Amino acid sequence: MLQTFRQSMAWLHTWFGLVLGFVLMAVFFFGSLSVFDREIDRWALPETRFEPQPMPSYDNLLADIFAGMEAEEEELEAARKRIGGELPAQLQPTGWGAYTTHRDPVLDVFAEYSVPNPKDPFDHAHGHLTLDPRIGAILPHDSLKIGSEFFYPLHYSLHIEWKQLGTWIVGVAALIMLVALVSGVIIHRRLFRELFTFRPGKRTQRSSLDLHNLTGVVALPFHFIFALSGLTIFAFLYLPVGETVLTTPVQAHLMEEAVSRGLPFEPAGEAAAIASVDAMMVEAKKRWAERGMPGEVGFLWVTHPGDRNSFVSIFRAGSDRVAFVGQGVHFDAVSGRVLYEEPPPTVIAGINEFLTGLHLQHFEHWPLRWLYLLGGLLGCTCIATGFIFFTEKRKRNLNDATLVRWVDALAVTAVTGMLVATGAILVANRLLPAELPHRSGWEQTVFWMAWLLTLAHALWRGRAVSGCLSPAWREQCWAIALLAVTAVALNWITTGDHLLKTVLTDRYWPVAGFDLALLASAAIALRTAFMLRTRERAAARIEHKELLAMEVARG
Amino acid sequence: MAEWLSLALAVGSGFLGMAWLALSLNVHWQQVRARALPPVKTLRALAAVALSVSLLLCLWADHPSIAVLVWVMAISGSALSVAMLLAWRPRWLKPVVVWAC
Repeated sequence: MLQTFRQSMAWLHTWFGLVLGFVLMAVFFFGSLSVFDREIDRWALPETRFEPQPMPSYDNLLADIFAGMEAEEEELEAARKRIGGELPAQLQPTGWGAYTTHRDPVLDVFAEYSVPNPKDPFDHAHGHLTLDPRIGAILPHDSLKIGSEFFYPLHYSLHIEWKQLGTWIVGVAALIMLVALVSGVIIHRRLFRELFTFRPGKRTQRSSLDLHNLTGVVALPFHFIFALSGLTIFAFLYLPVGETVLTTPVQAHLMEEAVSRGLPFEPAGEAAAIASVDAMMVEAKKRWAERGMPGEVGFLWVTHPGDRNSFVSIFRAGSDRVAFVGQGVHFDAVSGRVLYEEPPPTVIAGINEFLTGLHLQHFEHWPLRWLYLLGGLLGCTCIATGFIFFTEKRKRNLNDATLVRWVDALAVTAVTGMLVATGAILVANRLLPAELPHRSGWEQTVFWMAWLLTLAHALWRGRAVSGCLSPAWREQCWAIALLAVTAVALNWITTGDHLLKTVLTDRYWPVAGFDLALLASAAIALRTAFMLRTRERAAARIEHKELLAMEVARG
Repeated sequence: MAEWLSLALAVGSGFLGMAWLALSLNVHWQQVRARALPPVKTLRALAAVALSVSLLLCLWADHPSIAVLVWVMAISGSALSVAMLLAWRPRWLKPVVVWAC
């Protein structure tokens, strides 16, 4: 065994791919949904169904909002644990910020507060709010943005927050993804000759391998660059040299950099009033236009708010390019004059911004957004067909029966079960009463419970029949179709936004698009269920004939 | 509007490129044409031209950083469509090699 290099690569690809494939499936699928996270948010929070808004006035609106903000209770609790003592009643804010993109009707604002006597000089506690920038109304804290606050973090953290374990698991999975891609290319004997080969008429084992190879190879650049950029985005966590072994030099460097730019590193400790930030935004926009790149404000950050050393940093929204913000202009908050205008990024910074930006995709390019969805779904197909090939190949070997049964059940859970859970959270979002305490917690509970149920169902209904999938696949396809159609119907009943309205009379693409995607998913699930039923019946007939033949032979 | 047209042409050109590349392989050529062997060199040269044109059209429509991504992804999508056509409806690819009857 494993005598040749290719055989050892095949072993690596099979077993590492199998174990981490279950994680990668969720990463790819919820990553794909995150391409349209803002649109899913609109579907889930009907009160936010209005047009995207530019950065609102600071002087008339944001200033009051920031002043009224506080660190969140769980953040304070965590900070108390870190410093091992009580915190003062009022924490000093160290920064206020607001971020928006061309797809955001509501605005995310956040604040950082200093923690006294910290063990780590970078320690601070956070607060955040979501507001309607047209009138300054604050969204209730308990409303879950299913796209950007549930699906999106799920794809990089699995919502396992303990010691950031989930993010570590996803990091290992991304690394294994790179290994699987390289080893996959090595073991693929006819990479170019079979680049366009899919033979749906062949046996399941062969056609699933065809599809595995096809979806892996045609989107190889996408798979590779997304696994890689995912790792670089979290490099600060995976290789935290700056915050562990090099704390002092990093701090010295930051201070030196701030001094060289004329930006105060520490607060002065004296209160001072802030000048008009709206005027600073106008000035920043004027400077971008002079550089030949007119644009909108994407990110606004106030350092040491309320202090004499306070400064305001204004960044341009990167809608028309990959890097998501840039061209920062920094102003003295008290006098309002420009302290520092950032030059174009260096080559290394540029590459980093490109990798981060292409993964986080805050740019304005709808065709590319859809192509990303395609790439993500191709990744899902590649992983799912990998599971099917694994089990089909081993179904004839009776020694592998237990392994096959378990892998098949886990594959059902990871593929169709994940879709059932997704459908379930959407239905729960529309059905749970608005006044229910901890509503967002309940929505998430429904999601995880539904997923757990699909595992139980897959284990119960699992059956190894060579050449056709276990009935669990088909039955969960019915559930997906039912949930998807129910979600669309409930959206209509509870909000009055049916497709005729959102597509024709009162056009609102975020909701219409998501409803249409749900209906398309339902159609695909139904078709799959019917096809699987036809195959199961055909297989049952063959089995029946074989049994008869055996009985006849025995006499 | 001009950007959308340019992107549509880029996708079309990318699709043609991948279709010609696929048809330069014996097995796929035979799915589409009765004649035994494909004109490999001609088809691959055409594919190279079509894929380059596609990249140029992407660069014309968007900032280069975005254009590269659009091009790579459009090529992936094209390769997938060509493979699916070859699996289910190979005859639909006949028009792209109409001259080689």
